[in-house]
Amino acid sequence: MIHDSAIRTQLVTGEKTLHDVTTEICRPIENKPSTSWKVGFVLSVIFLGILGLTLAITTLFGIGTWGLNKTVQWGWDITNFVFWVGIGHAGTLISAILLLFRQKWRMSINRSAEAMTIFAVMCAAVFPLFHMGRLWVGMYWVLPLPNAFGSLWGNFHSPLLWDVFAITTYFSVSLVFWYLGLIPDIATVRDRATTAGRKFWYNFFSMGWTGSVRTWNRYEVVSLILAGISTPLVLSVHTIVSMDFATSVVPGWHTTIFPPYFVAGAIFSGFGMVLTLLVIVRKVMNYQDYITIGHLEAMCKVVMLTGTMVGLAYITEFFVAAYSGVVYEQYAFINRATGPYWWAYWSMMTCNLIAPQVFWFKWARTTPWFIFMLSIVVNVGMWFERFVIIVTSLHREYLPSGWVMYSPTIIEIGIFVGTFGLFFTCFFLFSKFLPVINMSEVKSILKNRE
Amino acid sequence: MIDKNLYLDRNKTVIFGIFENPDSFLETVGKVHSKGVDIIDCYTPFPIHGIEKAMGLKRSLLPIGAFISGSLGFIGAGSLQYYTMTYDWPIIIGNKPSFGVSFVPVWFEGTILFTAFGLALLFFIRNKMLHGKMPSERVDMRQTDDRMVVAIASDNPAINKSELTDMLFNGGAVEVKERTNHGYEDFTDVNLTRNN
Repeated sequence: MIHDSAIRTQLVTGEKTLHDVTTEICRPIENKPSTSWKVGFVLSVIFLGILGLTLAITTLFGIGTWGLNKTVQWGWDITNFVFWVGIGHAGTLISAILLLFRQKWRMSINRSAEAMTIFAVMCAAVFPLFHMGRLWVGMYWVLPLPNAFGSLWGNFHSPLLWDVFAITTYFSVSLVFWYLGLIPDIATVRDRATTAGRKFWYNFFSMGWTGSVRTWNRYEVVSLILAGISTPLVLSVHTIVSMDFATSVVPGWHTTIFPPYFVAGAIFSGFGMVLTLLVIVRKVMNYQDYITIGHLEAMCKVVMLTGTMVGLAYITEFFVAAYSGVVYEQYAFINRATGPYWWAYWSMMTCNLIAPQVFWFKWARTTPWFIFMLSIVVNVGMWFERFVIIVTSLHREYLPSGWVMYSPTIIEIGIFVGTFGLFFTCFFLFSKFLPVINMSEVKSILKNRE
Repeated sequence: MIDKNLYLDRNKTVIFGIFENPDSFLETVGKVHSKGVDIIDCYTPFPIHGIEKAMGLKRSLLPIGAFISGSLGFIGAGSLQYYTMTYDWPIIIGNKPSFGVSFVPVWFEGTILFTAFGLALLFFIRNKMLHGKMPSERVDMRQTDDRMVVAIASDNPAINKSELTDMLFNGGAVEVKERTNHGYEDFTDVNLTRNN
């Protein structure tokens, strides 16, 4: 039974029936891809090729091909890693935390946001894996296997190993959550399938789903438990990523505010990327009735809130550095704002703290092209945040003899650009072969059911 | 509760009521159940809240399974770290104790990982779901699209067939049929009509 509020706006507009939902969401799967899809897909594959090429060069010649030098060992590489992991946080946040809070607007966006999470974490994994240099040896550096020369194990005191566990757990749990949610929808596609190929593959992945109430009953229990355990998981992942920095003694990193600050930043950047994708998806795939202005507005509010939280963290860091009386900390922060990388610092401040404040105005929250522009600004700003933290702290450490400037090589730029190829190739395939909107959940919130 | 697979047995007959409105479906299922009629199962394209109560389903035991698999993860992650870092080859790093708070993150992640995978696995086992398995109970091809189906054994002691048919039609069923199964996806359907 649905008890509608008289005040709230409808979550799905256009007076849809149950059957409308099925046909409209299955349309891209059942028809030939559009020209815009083909163009976008080919472009993404070209960028994916750049990734393959630059990674091959890295593997053949070693990470000397990167611009990392003695002191800035974590230049673009870890900047991009943290950037992508951060983006990966919106998906599980939307599907898990909003499920616990009974926020029904999550239902039309959770599927694509979760897909985005999985693809973003895949992109993130590229960087630390290849940063290990010899990838094939690296496998036992991260896995708890005894060393070949004796029984020296992986170091569980190290935040870097915590990170390996956190990210692999996050990736695999998100994948399980995503796949479980997909099963009923895959079964819907299976039962509508007309071609032999579609019948076979959707039957294979639907695992014999029939929509039995006994199964639904268990499914709901499983969703709730998975949401319950994913919520602390989301918070733990970026907390642990922040500990990679916070447990060190590098000025500018050695900060207790890092965990909440990183989590807020991750949600901020994740929602930024969700907005970038969904503003396009709703337009190109004609899903304005499912992903309404109301959805965009709600996400803009989250962006504004988390952007302000991140901004508050930037200012708090400055205050704590000043108040601590530690000259190294004070220098690190003065250097960030006024040193050789001042432009990166002020780009970060402008994009993350100042720009999202326009979302106080309703017009800004309800105009898709403007939201799209601003979501790009948020993505850029969050990339700069990681760049500022990593590069400005490392290029001026305790010993002035280690003071250097850092700039990326063409290979590093190629890998970064290439990960966008990987991300969008996966996203295009997803939008062609799987229902982009969770049909079974959306059907349960339709107002007009006659 | 009648065995779910009953109507798939040879020559067993089942009555299916097919609905298009979830609210009247829920109401009718509740009414049929309160008459003392055993409902074999219902099939819906989306989770209808409250139907498990209307059908008289028991609470799932999966949370207990989740707890057990989580506990295994807790013990596993803890003993792995204890064995490698404290028992087998203790290393003092940054003067941290060889067994202490630096084990918490991996401990936590291990517990979550095992809970999620254990739960998903138990869910598939409990539902007898497997990759590539053919769906066993497709009454109507639109049961995953926009129709809801209730399956009731036709030789029901609590109610006679015509009374049940009328009850389903009065509750809003668009179609009521009686199916006799001969084998997998091999059956004879008889469409039942309203009696009065």
